[in-house]
Amino acid sequence: MRAWLVALLALPVQAATYWVVLAGLGGEPDYEQRFSSWAREAEKLARGSTGEVHVSTLAGKDATAERIRALFADLARRVRPEDSFVLLLIGHGTFDGYQYKFNIPGPDLSGEDLAALLDRITATRQLVVNTTSASGASVETLRKPGRIVITATKSGMEKNATVFARYWIEALRDPAADTDKNETVSALEAFRYASQKTARFYESQRRLATEHPLLEDTGQGGGVRSPAPEEGSGRLAAAFPLVRFGRAQAAARDPARRALLARKEELEQKIDLLKYQKAAMDSAEYRKQLTALLVELARVNEELEK
Amino acid sequence: MTAALLLLTLAQPFAAAGPAAECRALAHRGRNIEAQNCFSALVRRPDAWARAEGLWGLGRYREANDEFRRAVAERPRDPDCRVRWGRLLLERFNPGEAAELFQEALQLRKDHPGALVGLALVAAEGFEQKAVELAERALAADPGAIEARVLLARMALEDGDAARAVQEADRALAAWPEALEAMAIRAAVEWLEDREPSAWIQRALAVHPRYGRIYAVGARFLVLNRRYEDGVRLYRKAVELDPALWDVRSELGLNLMRLGRDAEARRELELAYENGYRNAATVNALRLLDSARNFLLLDAGRFTLKLHRKEAAWLRPYVEQEATRALATFQKKYGVTLKEPVRIELYPDHEDFAVRTLGMPGLGALGVTFERAVAMDSPTARKPGTFHWAGTLWHELNHVVVLAAVNNRAPRWFVEGLAVWEETQASPEWGERLTPDVIAAIRDRKLLPVAQLDRGFVRPSYPGQVVVSYFQAGKLCEYIASQWGFDALRRMLRAFGERKTTPEVVREVLALPPEELDRRFQSWLDGQLRRTLEGFPVWRERMKRLAEAARAGRHDEVIREGPAVRDLYPEYVEAGSAYELLAGAYLATGDKEAARQELERYARAGGRDPALLRQLAELEATSGRKREAVAALERLLYVAPGDEEVHRRLGDLLLELGEAEQAIREYRAVLALGPSDVAAAHYHLARACRAARRLEEAREHVLAALEAAPGYRPAQKLLLELNP
Repeated sequence: MRAWLVALLALPVQAATYWVVLAGLGGEPDYEQRFSSWAREAEKLARGSTGEVHVSTLAGKDATAERIRALFADLARRVRPEDSFVLLLIGHGTFDGYQYKFNIPGPDLSGEDLAALLDRITATRQLVVNTTSASGASVETLRKPGRIVITATKSGMEKNATVFARYWIEALRDPAADTDKNETVSALEAFRYASQKTARFYESQRRLATEHPLLEDTGQGGGVRSPAPEEGSGRLAAAFPLVRFGRAQAAARDPARRALLARKEELEQKIDLLKYQKAAMDSAEYRKQLTALLVELARVNEELEK
Repeated sequence: MTAALLLLTLAQPFAAAGPAAECRALAHRGRNIEAQNCFSALVRRPDAWARAEGLWGLGRYREANDEFRRAVAERPRDPDCRVRWGRLLLERFNPGEAAELFQEALQLRKDHPGALVGLALVAAEGFEQKAVELAERALAADPGAIEARVLLARMALEDGDAARAVQEADRALAAWPEALEAMAIRAAVEWLEDREPSAWIQRALAVHPRYGRIYAVGARFLVLNRRYEDGVRLYRKAVELDPALWDVRSELGLNLMRLGRDAEARRELELAYENGYRNAATVNALRLLDSARNFLLLDAGRFTLKLHRKEAAWLRPYVEQEATRALATFQKKYGVTLKEPVRIELYPDHEDFAVRTLGMPGLGALGVTFERAVAMDSPTARKPGTFHWAGTLWHELNHVVVLAAVNNRAPRWFVEGLAVWEETQASPEWGERLTPDVIAAIRDRKLLPVAQLDRGFVRPSYPGQVVVSYFQAGKLCEYIASQWGFDALRRMLRAFGERKTTPEVVREVLALPPEELDRRFQSWLDGQLRRTLEGFPVWRERMKRLAEAARAGRHDEVIREGPAVRDLYPEYVEAGSAYELLAGAYLATGDKEAARQELERYARAGGRDPALLRQLAELEATSGRKREAVAALERLLYVAPGDEEVHRRLGDLLLELGEAEQAIREYRAVLALGPSDVAAAHYHLARACRAARRLEEAREHVLAALEAAPGYRPAQKLLLELNP
């Protein structure tokens, strides 16, 4: 996965990340409260990330089509192509066999409406996380080259309220979601974390799973449940930083440490290469080489920390 | 074997079989070729009922069913034909529609004895009390109804009343000396009392030279009395004598499966299935055997563990630890040494466990013991917090030891009572709580006399009686231990092993008439539960008000009223208990210490809500009580062991307390649970290994952590420390 992470480090320094969090109609007090608290939590976590982050949230009665359109019109003027853009949809969705709709006060927004709004945003790197019921039906209309689409369900037929949003938001604050420990949670890591937690939720409650999350980032597929960058799915998502909580970005900007950083990247790439060769290698030899590379990488990191 | 089949040969004077009376009489005497010819002749007859009977006798059940449909249309006012059709359906695994036909027959002729017997047989399949009433009604309508008489004998023996069973069987034989099923009941009584019923076998074979069912009936009763090995032995004899007893082969297969002999079980079940005996139990059992590849069979010395592949790695250490502890405790207490390993099977799908046990889904039990084999729900089979798996394992292992001590000869109430009581001896927090249902049963004086307590398990007369009987039996053992000492329970066990009855054992060991034991026990129980029994109606009212106050956020009111409400019924630890409301109110008002103390009380009372226990662990940890935090998390291992976070937190605390080996177990569980954060899981395990001075393992895991996440700083630091 290192190749995509190298791309991550190579992001333009001045680029900002814009978040739009929309929490739709709950329909009953319990859901209303749940959706708006998730939206607040997501906003707080996104703001807490290092780097330039802008977050706009519309929840409950404020999340009308009119206000959403106005917000997107404003963002269309501000967001630049080099920026990243995240749209998080929380709430209920419906699918009538033809069209997906995001349930909000007043007229709903269809998948096509949402696609049209997103198309006005010039950011070339976009992430849409649709955590609503029936959200799987929105993949086809929202997908586009350069855009990652994540849905809580695998189709429009999974119509029960979902829990995916809860775990997606948890991924933004749980260091365990950062599985490669590079102090950044990528969209792919968050997707994997939330998918696993969602599956575990249904298992532990002894309930039939009524949601099966999907990720689509090739611009042409129907989405996959287990993205694998090696096989083509999840590459964009692996290189899309959602939240950063470390000093990695600061170090990248310090000219005095560039040589060490270069050595670090070189070692990381060597480790990746070695891992790809693992199956064809003698296990003792693999272990020896891996240990040597990891020890050196650890020493370089130690130097970087001084 | 179904009740209908048990009684198949009893249609004396065979008139009820209508056109097939003669053919059935031939079959009854084992004259099979003549009987087949007779049934074939019926098939050629013009009337539909005769054709139906002929096809039934030839085993062409679908066609027989179609002909019965025609026959009933031809004879709209004939109850007899409907009863026969019902009997066909009952024999072919459709008791629901059979019962409808029996009811229709009763509408056509009130108190039709055949219809009443049919309904009694349907009820008897489900061990319903009304089966006895229906059989008695049939006898009242027709004192010569042999089937009803034999059914009463059978049910008496199911209830453990051998004397009544003998009496009823003898009355059937007096009315008809060729009543094979009555002979089978008499033979079963002998086998149950460890005598060989040669005379009865001889008498039955004189009527029907290949009457293998005499062994099958005996086998069924041995199995009902937990003597599975003996039952299997007799089932084998039955099919040796008549290899075409496909229903008996199915039963043999099911019992072999219960004993863990899956290969043999499959052979017998497949034979039954391939020969057209495809009842739900046979099909379900074959399906379950097909799923064997999903399980691992693990040799653990004194145990053979059968665990599902997806959970074996993390579950095994906990199961092994508890099983070892339980077995050591019980072997010592009861003076038994098991020679063979005990097989323990855990099923993450409750319905698989039910099929393993009964052949059918829908079993209410959590665990079952078949001599040296224990089958039970895995901890993951139920919602976290609703199932104390270790309590169930101890309960079942107690059965293994106790039944081995008496060669499976002890009444159900005593065996269950000991196991229930032993759960609470393992820990006062274990075992089932005093539920409102049980309180109502005690209040309404519904507890059974000790001499009849088995009936509460086998043939409950009101919903929930089985649960009440478990509670009563457990309390009775507790009472005996408290008044006469544990040795009295041991002596009772020995006496039961000598085949003495409950009244005899009570008189001999406790030197009391059973009625006196009942009286003293009730008085002791009333004393023990007086506060709860008297306070229960008040508690219900006040609890309602307390919940309203909590919902409305009136925390001061909850704090003021809560302790008194809690103490009215301290055993109540279900959702929304006073403990929970109080802890919530204390936390809302910022009093963490009071919340901690309340949750400790909750845990000690047997509360098992994972969220509350986790909250307790955190409150203990933040107040510097790491040992108590560990104890809270260890409670969670018994009710929600599949939670990765519990193991990780426990590992952290144990490592902080310097208990590295214990921490290793917890971190290994995290890893085996397939965590999303693999790197961290390996890293924590590496830390624990280093603390336990297992340096090679530590290096291996830190390498695995960094292989997953090369930039993981804490792991890098550990790597440098391990590779200076």
